[in-house]
Amino acid sequence: MSAPYYIPEMDVPLPPANAEIVSTACDYCIVACGYKVYRWPVAGNLNGGPEADNNAFGEDFPVNPLGPWVAPNQHNIVLHNSEPHHVVIIPDKDTQSVNLNGDSSLRGGCIAQKCYNPQTPTRDRLRSPLMRIYGILQPVPWDFALDVAAEIASYVIEKHGASSYGVKTFSYQYIENTYAITKYALRHIGTPNFTFHDTPSDVSSTPGFRDAGFDNFAASYEDWRDAETLLICGTDPYETKTILWTQWIMPAIQGGQKTILMVPRRTAGVAYAEQNGGMWIDVTPGTDLLVLNAIARVIVENDWQDKEWIENWVNNKWGSSSGFGQGTRNTPWQWRTTWGMFQTDGFEDWRNWLLAQDEFTVENAAAVSGVDPEKIRTAAEWMAKPKDDGSRVKTSVMIEKGLYWSNNTGTTQSVSALGIIVGAGGRPGQMISRAGGHQRGGVRGGGYPRNLSPMKLPGRRRRALDTDTWLYAGHTRMAHVIGTTWIQAMCGSEQLSVAFENLTVANPHQIRSYDKEDIVATLKKRADSGGMVLINQDIYLVDPIGNRYADIVFPAATWGEETFMRANGERRLRLYPKFYDAPGEAKPDWWIIAELSKRMGFDGFDWENSNDVAEEASRFSRGSRKDFNMIKVAAHREGKTLHEKLGEFGTDGIQGPVFMLDDGSLEGTVRLHDTTRELPAEGPAGGNMFNKKLTHFNSQTGRCNIQKSPWSLFSDYWEWLQPKGDELWCTSGRTNERWQSGFDDRRRPYIMQRWPENYVEIHPDDATERGIESGDMVMAYSDRVPSLRETTIGVEASDYSFAGQMANGNVELSRAAVTGVAMVTRHIKKGVIYMDFLHPQQPANALQGRIVDWISGNYNYKMGVASVRKIGVSPYKDNLRSMSFAPRDII
Amino acid sequence: TSQAHEIPGVVSSYPRKWIAKLSDLVVDEPVDFLYPDEGAYADSVIVKLGVRAGSGIGPTEDVVAFNNTCTHQGGPLSGTYKGDTKSLGACPLHLSTYDLTRHGILISGQAYQSLPQVLLELEGDDIYAVGLFGLIFGRYDNLQG
Repeated sequence: MSAPYYIPEMDVPLPPANAEIVSTACDYCIVACGYKVYRWPVAGNLNGGPEADNNAFGEDFPVNPLGPWVAPNQHNIVLHNSEPHHVVIIPDKDTQSVNLNGDSSLRGGCIAQKCYNPQTPTRDRLRSPLMRIYGILQPVPWDFALDVAAEIASYVIEKHGASSYGVKTFSYQYIENTYAITKYALRHIGTPNFTFHDTPSDVSSTPGFRDAGFDNFAASYEDWRDAETLLICGTDPYETKTILWTQWIMPAIQGGQKTILMVPRRTAGVAYAEQNGGMWIDVTPGTDLLVLNAIARVIVENDWQDKEWIENWVNNKWGSSSGFGQGTRNTPWQWRTTWGMFQTDGFEDWRNWLLAQDEFTVENAAAVSGVDPEKIRTAAEWMAKPKDDGSRVKTSVMIEKGLYWSNNTGTTQSVSALGIIVGAGGRPGQMISRAGGHQRGGVRGGGYPRNLSPMKLPGRRRRALDTDTWLYAGHTRMAHVIGTTWIQAMCGSEQLSVAFENLTVANPHQIRSYDKEDIVATLKKRADSGGMVLINQDIYLVDPIGNRYADIVFPAATWGEETFMRANGERRLRLYPKFYDAPGEAKPDWWIIAELSKRMGFDGFDWENSNDVAEEASRFSRGSRKDFNMIKVAAHREGKTLHEKLGEFGTDGIQGPVFMLDDGSLEGTVRLHDTTRELPAEGPAGGNMFNKKLTHFNSQTGRCNIQKSPWSLFSDYWEWLQPKGDELWCTSGRTNERWQSGFDDRRRPYIMQRWPENYVEIHPDDATERGIESGDMVMAYSDRVPSLRETTIGVEASDYSFAGQMANGNVELSRAAVTGVAMVTRHIKKGVIYMDFLHPQQPANALQGRIVDWISGNYNYKMGVASVRKIGVSPYKDNLRSMSFAPRDII
Repeated sequence: TSQAHEIPGVVSSYPRKWIAKLSDLVVDEPVDFLYPDEGAYADSVIVKLGVRAGSGIGPTEDVVAFNNTCTHQGGPLSGTYKGDTKSLGACPLHLSTYDLTRHGILISGQAYQSLPQVLLELEGDDIYAVGLFGLIFGRYDNLQG
């Protein structure tokens, strides 16, 4: 049999009553459910038994529904203090927050299988540094690899300038690591050639939120539960933030919440909402702005807006322009050539603009977006029509990448305005926020050196350097890639791959020596010749960035292998303790960065352990949404470390920003922008720090800015891109069962049985026209993947639009081809195909245009086009053991 | 057809229990039974799918049986069979669904494994349950409880 299959275990060892218990949180999605690790030695055969007094749960087996059952996938064997130990990792059944009832998703539920165990498919974890010598990645000692890397880095920075040293890093993989990395890259090296895993340049993901004054993660999970109407744009939380759905939104739906989901796929959460009185807005990729503005238009035409809220909390003409250079006229979005395109004089001005745009009539929005006009009217009614007694509906708005990665600036502006007029943003159950993807583990150890970016927009300010076009143009002489696939994670990824190959392994200067000095000299010649030296730091060898192109690979330690801190989507901070030995010589990222920094002569990297890093980082968290500085203050008062003190909060953690009360106890923050919150009249005491975002909005006045969101700033690209001939819209995302690139899931036999390859979801009508059946192998391809040759080129504002870039000859069209297993399904909108966004072998991102949103600098990953053709039959069509072609909307 | 048949040590330890007559089964009309014992979570379901299925028995290989408890957190799947998709679920607790044509693999949802499949044998018109493939929710061992 060629297809992956899986033989389940038929029994599982139970933890004995005296098993050690470590509280932690899941490594994967934004929700960060609380987990407990039960650990006991393998030696001695001390397994627990099925009677309550014989196991660590104190429960008789078989356990009750929702009880502490142990599925075989929740058990593993690890080394702890060099001795084999059993670990059983199950959701914390006692937690009072996040995953109430001890609920878990499939991803976290199987997290025990993440742990390194050479008898499982995790055996290929990176265990020692590697160097490409004679074309082969060979193990070398840490000192050898670090010495070479540090010497080349210092040389490249000295000779070619800081901007020739590129750092591409995860933004979230624990506070200790992100702090160390940003301290190194931004404070010490000071390179503008820096960005995070999901964007070509270091820019805000949600420009419209920033302009309106909304923090991305202001809401608390209870706000999503307490809303009476909830508009969810660009995600099905059941698929991607499971417990946020099952423990917070699903109970709300059962209690009568009207839940609206605007996505092109009818997955289980959407189907459940619809079945229980909610609504699916089946939007065509890229047209969300039209639907949102049409909903807003229906609201204002009926005079349903929240007048009292608008009066009190929305800037008028004077508020909009107030502040000494800090009004919206002076935000980055106004700098970028669009002066006057967004700013309003307040609600009336915005309303007049909205009503004057014919494209926002219900009929036009419905026609272009492919959404039933009645749904637009119903959404407006549910969100804003006052109840019979005149009181208002509590409405909240949740957004995620399906929305803001398709017309990034426009949709975030339009959804902000819609949120404002329905009174969402600053009250319990009435919030507007992102739902989130990964957890929030970033603390900046240095500011982005914007003034060093050579990329400038007309007349005004500099824009953060676009690391993709910069590398593509050959300016990056040394790239340091930390915990991301870079290539497949960006748009137009096949062209990027060619650029990486040409700059690294196709360069004539390759390591063909045993001598350190020779090696250093060779790599210096590489950089001087216009090539690029590549360092990759990760837990597995990633294809192609690591295994094909990297010169040096550093093995990283991860979740459970070092003690770390991180926050979830409601800013809840938790400790993730080390509970087993990292594989081989793998080291946490902060340690690798510190060792490089010391060799490069930077001071301030003499940390002994991860707590030292966290304590240093705490001061840089002050004033941020996850301000944890006062936890450290409390810890030191009590003679503890920051990690020890945070650990005392267990799986419940504490929501940032954290404050100290007069009695020395700590208090978290339920929600930001909480206009109902009363802070002490005498102001912050001791080391506490209050800022505007606690009780007001992140704007110049503390009130919201209601902004315009012109379709015309984006429509040229959308109209050029929309399917021609036999093309279909091609969008992508993450299926519930896989996390990110599948780096762990590819090593879980059960998940490989479920998803052995990338897949192409296609509507039955589109499939029939093309002679495609479920299980056929198909090719999704395009000969018009647009990409920018250089960073945007222009003089006048009009040059910077897609049409302007085309006219200026800065857009090239290339080809891309991605294979997948066809899945003909009723749950996807007709005219749209959907794939896994980041399958390393078959990246859907290859088909997405490498055209940044010209206002913000972000990619619009969720909209591309492709032709689809059957190329054969996959083994999964008739083999009944792998995959499933059943639809995801069965309720 | 099942890999499990190649693991006689596992299969042989289960009781052999008469479940139904093949000729009595009607397409898309599931019949409940208990297996491997009468203890907690022994509720199982046998169904003639009308399409070929992994480890299906009968002349058209379309008769399969599964444990009827969700392997996520023990929700009851009784009464959730859907003939159009040949599936069990959605589980009333957290919406997991299972594909009965493909050994009970998870379609969508949160379960940590496939639904345990009851292995069947056909003797004349009589169908016997002879084993299980996968651990039943709530138990640490299918035969010990």
